[in-house]
Parts: sequence; structure tokens; C-alpha cells
Amino acid sequence: MAEPELLLDSNIRLWVVLPIVFITFLVGVIRHYVSILLQSDKKLTLEQVSDSQILIRSRILRENGKYIPKQSFLMRKFYFNNQEDGFFKNTKRKVVPPSPMTDPSMLTDMMKGNVTNVLPMILIGGWINWTFSGFVTTKVPFPLTLRFKPMLQQGIELLSLDASWVSSASWYFLNVFGLRSMYSLILGQDNGADQSRIMQEQMSGAAMAMPADTNKAFKAEWEALELTDHQWALENIEEELMSRELDLDGMFSKELPTGIF
Amino acid sequence: MLYESMSFLYYLNPEKYKLRKWREDNHRNSEQIVDVGEELINEHASKLGDDIWIIYEQVMIAALDCSRDDLAWTCLQELKKQFPGSQRVKRLAGMRLEALEKYEDASKQYDSILQDDPTNTAARKRKISILKAQGKSAEAIRELNEYLEQFVGDQEAWHELSELYINEHDYGKAAFCLEELMMTNPHNHLYCEQYAEVKYTQGGLENLELSRKYFAQALKLNNGNMRALFGLYMSASHIAASPKVNATVKKANVKYAAWATNQINRAYQLAGRGTKENKCSVKAVEEMLESMQITMS
Repeated sequence: MAEPELLLDSNIRLWVVLPIVFITFLVGVIRHYVSILLQSDKKLTLEQVSDSQILIRSRILRENGKYIPKQSFLMRKFYFNNQEDGFFKNTKRKVVPPSPMTDPSMLTDMMKGNVTNVLPMILIGGWINWTFSGFVTTKVPFPLTLRFKPMLQQGIELLSLDASWVSSASWYFLNVFGLRSMYSLILGQDNGADQSRIMQEQMSGAAMAMPADTNKAFKAEWEALELTDHQWALENIEEELMSRELDLDGMFSKELPTGIF
Repeated sequence: MLYESMSFLYYLNPEKYKLRKWREDNHRNSEQIVDVGEELINEHASKLGDDIWIIYEQVMIAALDCSRDDLAWTCLQELKKQFPGSQRVKRLAGMRLEALEKYEDASKQYDSILQDDPTNTAARKRKISILKAQGKSAEAIRELNEYLEQFVGDQEAWHELSELYINEHDYGKAAFCLEELMMTNPHNHLYCEQYAEVKYTQGGLENLELSRKYFAQALKLNNGNMRALFGLYMSASHIAASPKVNATVKKANVKYAAWATNQINRAYQLAGRGTKENKCSVKAVEEMLESMQITMS
């Protein structure tokens, strides 16, 4: 199905593609600084911090328990899972589900999140759609089925046009997700412009501050730990080590820095 | 702030780059920090911008290490002016009081931080180090245990506790702490090696076997760990020399010890290529290993 390649006006490249990139990028940077200004301190109670660390410890025990001797692993497993006084069996936390209505700080947090992230995206997406409408912007390098046409070709009413040719609104959305790595280069790791990361966080649930789930989390950890077995990683370590000579390259090639004071 | 691609900063302002590198790598070269930092603060304060505050903190802690109370006081005053009521600055004030050995006042300072924010780990840890400085190791151990009950994930604290237990010769508990560290850092050969040494010190056939295995693990993680190599040799030869083992175990351990000997000799040969005094150390190592073999067989 060799279609003749469409030749786009190079003005499109100059006046549409590049401006959309700049707009997306700048909006992202502005979002980052606005989120810093609007940030509220999250106060965690001692119990929450403690519980989250305990859950992490139990998870590490499950994953890396094979590096410690069997006796030690069993000792820790016993501490957590024992029938009478194991930690996960016995500890019940008072559960206060943080409903958005009753907890004012959660409400403002949610609002702030929406304002800084979702709203600008919708507004600017709509504005770009309105401004840069009526022409094809770019072509995605892979073939798409016809069902994508109404989604990606908003405003272009051509039945015979290949679905790979997309409009400027879809180029905008492509940019929103694509510029993520640029943001981490320019703004440092934990930046507020990283929208997809925020959306991922919302979906997976915050690991730290979910008090309603603590009891459930404990129960889940208890079950997982019950199932874990100890496969000592060091069972045959001597044979593995002595199967070949030690690699002493580079050990004595230069002067080692001495002293710290 | 660009974090990854800032190597050009080295050419623009090498002192600032050095300080940041030391800060990120947690170096404790306090004299160097004081030299570089003092010059930076006094001459180039305007060029530093907002970085100056973290440099003040870094230089202040280094100044406390070098007993430069004047410099520490200056840094603290600047920080207090800029960040009044900050808990981080309060902790630095407490550290200065500790350096002047005014432990009661320092303790009160940390208590006030903890009243505002009970989850502040830095203040708790400083209180424990006050106890350690005063030599009250039993109390320090007790407090550190309580701290760890709340904050199970604090690896620095586990390591500190293992050191305290080793000083008290309570090797069983020290081994427990090191096991926590090994679990959270399975690729760190130094924890494996330290654990193996503690097990070796505890003694007894089972512990010797464990220590041999963990010396081997440390070697596997880092082939260049000479201490682990020697430890492997010693634990293997001790097991082989013990009267309670059966013949197969003894044979296996003699094999391990022989392999370790080979590697040690190889390492010393590599190290001693050419120079005369190294030839003597090669010979000394060979003689030592031979003499140990004689006592063994």
C-alpha cells in the first residue's frame, strides 16, 4: 500500500512544531516552580514512619534473606510471624480512613494537584487545538489503524488520509510525555513538571502516608513472609570462588590516597 | 540545578566543585574542607549565590572537627540570621555545644527540637552520640536500641550499634546488626567481611565455618579484598587444625587454605614487581604461611 509521501510546507515545521515544543517545555518549567511555591509540609506521625520502615524491613527480609545464615533468617521470621506474639499478628493500628471531606489538608492537596497539573494540560491542549487546527502537523513513524483517526486527526476531515499523519494536538501530547527526560536534566530529579510520574504515583498509591491500609499491609506482609523459604546463597560459595584465580588487576597499579584528616 | 552535566563547573569554580563532591561523597577531610571553605566564604561570598548556605553548614561541621570555634561561630551566626527557627540550624547549634563539651545544654537543645518534631532522626542520633562521647556506652546502647525500634530502616544506626557491641565484646548482638546491614546491602563486600570477622572472633566450629563462607562471599564481591583473603586462609586453616572435624571436612579446608595461599602469594608477587623491599615482604609472607602450615598438619 505504497502511498505517495505528503510533502508538508516547511512553514509548518517553523511555526507549528517548534513553537509547540517550546510552549510545552516552558509550561512544564512554570508548573515546576508553581508547585514548589504551593507545596505544603506533610507532617508524618512517628507511628507512620515507624510502620513504613518496618514494612520495608520485612520486604527486604523476604528478598535478601538468602544472604544471611538460616538461623538468623528463621529468627527474624519468627519475630514477625509467630502465632502468639509475632509483630504482624499482634499489632493493630487505629484506622482512620482519610476521606477527602473530613480531612481539610487532603482536600487542599488534591485541589492543588489538580490545578497545577490537569488544568493547564486541558487548557493548553484545547488552545493549541483551536489555534493550530486544520492542517497536518507531523507523521508518526509507525503505521496506525483507522480507528485512531478521529483521536489523532482532530479537525482534519479527510477520509483518505493515512492515520499516521497527526494533528498538532497530538503532537502537543507527545511532547508532554516526551519532555520528561529533559525536565530531569534541567530541573533535577524530583521536579514538579514531571506529570506522568505524578499520575503514576496517584495510581499506585503513596507508600508512606496511607494509614487506612496499614492493617491490610501488615496482613499482606504476614502472608508473604509465611510463604518465603530460605535458600542460602552461600551454599557453594567456596567452589564458585575457587573455580578460577582471583582477578587482581589494577590493585597495585597506583598509589592509594592515604589519610583523611 | 543541573546535577549530571555540571562537570564544566569544575573549570569555572574548582573550589565549589570540590566542596560539593566532598559533601556528596560524605568525606570527612575536615582540614581540607576548612581551608577551601574558609577561603571561599571570605573571598568569593558574592559569587556563590544560594549555595553559600549549604557551604556554611559543611564548613561549620568541619570547623568543629578542627577545633576552629571562631569559624564555626561565624558560620552559625550567618545561618541563624538567614534561617531563624530552623530545626536544621538548631541541630548545628547543638553540635557546637557538644564540641565545647557543654553536654547538658546540647541535650536540652536537642530535646527542644524533638518536642516540635518527634520524627526528627538527627536530634535523636546526636543525643546518643553525646552519651557515647561521655563514655556511657551501656546507656548509649540502650538508647540506640530504642531508636532502632522506631526507625528500623536506619542503616547508619545499625552500623553504629554493631560497633558499640563490638566494643563491649557482645559479638552475638554485633553479628545481628551486621546481618541487618548485609540484607539491605547485599553487594557490599565490607559488611560481609566485617560479619565474617565477628563470627571468627566468636569462635567455635560452626562460627568458623560461617566466617569462612562470608570471607569467601566478600572475596567474590570484591576480588581485591586482601583482608578477606587472609581471613579465608585463617578460618580454613583453623577448621582444618581442629581435632573435632572428620577427614572430608579437613581435606576440604586444607584445599581452601592452599588455594588462599596461592592467591596471597600471587598478590604479593604482583605488588612486589621489581622493588627490593617488596621482595622482602614477599618472602616474609611465604615464611608466615609455611609456619602456619607446620602448626596445622
